[in-house]
Amino acid sequence: MWFLIEYNRQQGEVVTLKRFKENERSKAENSRLELELELNRAGGEHEVVLLQAASEVSLRRTHRRYFEDLLELAS
Amino acid sequence: MANNLSKTQIDKLGDRVRKGDITEADLRLLDEYRRSFSDAYEFVIEEIRSRLELEPTGRPAKSTSSIREKLLRESIRLSQVQDIAGCRQVVQSVAAQESALESLRSLFTNLTVVDRRRRPSHGYRAVHLIVKHSGKLVEIQLRTTLQHMWAEFSEKLSDVFDPAIKYGGGDAATAQLLLDLSALLARAEKEETALMSMEQQVSELLSRGTRSEVRRKKLIDVEREIRELKKEQIQISEDALAMLHTLIDSLPKKKRRT
Repeated sequence: MWFLIEYNRQQGEVVTLKRFKENERSKAENSRLELELELNRAGGEHEVVLLQAASEVSLRRTHRRYFEDLLELAS
Repeated sequence: MANNLSKTQIDKLGDRVRKGDITEADLRLLDEYRRSFSDAYEFVIEEIRSRLELEPTGRPAKSTSSIREKLLRESIRLSQVQDIAGCRQVVQSVAAQESALESLRSLFTNLTVVDRRRRPSHGYRAVHLIVKHSGKLVEIQLRTTLQHMWAEFSEKLSDVFDPAIKYGGGDAATAQLLLDLSALLARAEKEETALMSMEQQVSELLSRGTRSEVRRKKLIDVEREIRELKKEQIQISEDALAMLHTLIDSLPKKKRRT
């Protein structure tokens, strides 16, 4: 599965999370570009990243910082 | 996807990204450059999945903000950035990491290994493997659960508190605590490896029977050492937890839950 994440670093929070099927790579990449262009026009500084994982559980394990706060990461 | 951009075009784009004044045309160009790693990325991911039966999380293209930070931090050119495409595999233990490392070494011929367990980068410990395929580089991050916990914690701290922390800058006390924590976790992993080796010794001794007095004595000694190591491990976990909470307590309250 593909996951398009818009992340607000200063707040440490995921702003949007879009999911795409495994065979929708191109669609996911186009969405990433569109989101970056949109944020650039609006002057936003959010991080935009596209990740591919076996499942959302795997994603949340390998990229914990997007989904957990400091206390959760420390537990 | 083929890359039709020349090295000069890529590096000039990198200069504009570094300055931070990125136009829509630049974002499209950067997108084109990142997509040129697609074939190499897919090759690496597919090989790992099908041949090693691992399930790494892939990141086909580094984010624009991360590229910009890297260009600012390391004074390198965009065409020299080695981790435009990559993936991350987290494994349970050092033994599993070693085993995965050996498998990856056998799987890819054109490979560079950067072992940051031996030479940590501002406390960051992991193994990075850079695979070259069709002229493109793909980085594989191989971390244990403990190395991963430290890395994610340090990165989150950088996100919400001070971006310099991740690279050893920012508040000196925080940087030192992170370094101490990293060293403590390295010790925990060393002891975990020793423990596994001793447990293996016990099962070998047991499989040979306990009738011999020498073997029985050896078994008692190894089991005592195992108990000692387990006690030390509990102490290390408690110390690590205390360090993490000291770090969190030193932050402004509103930042702790972000």
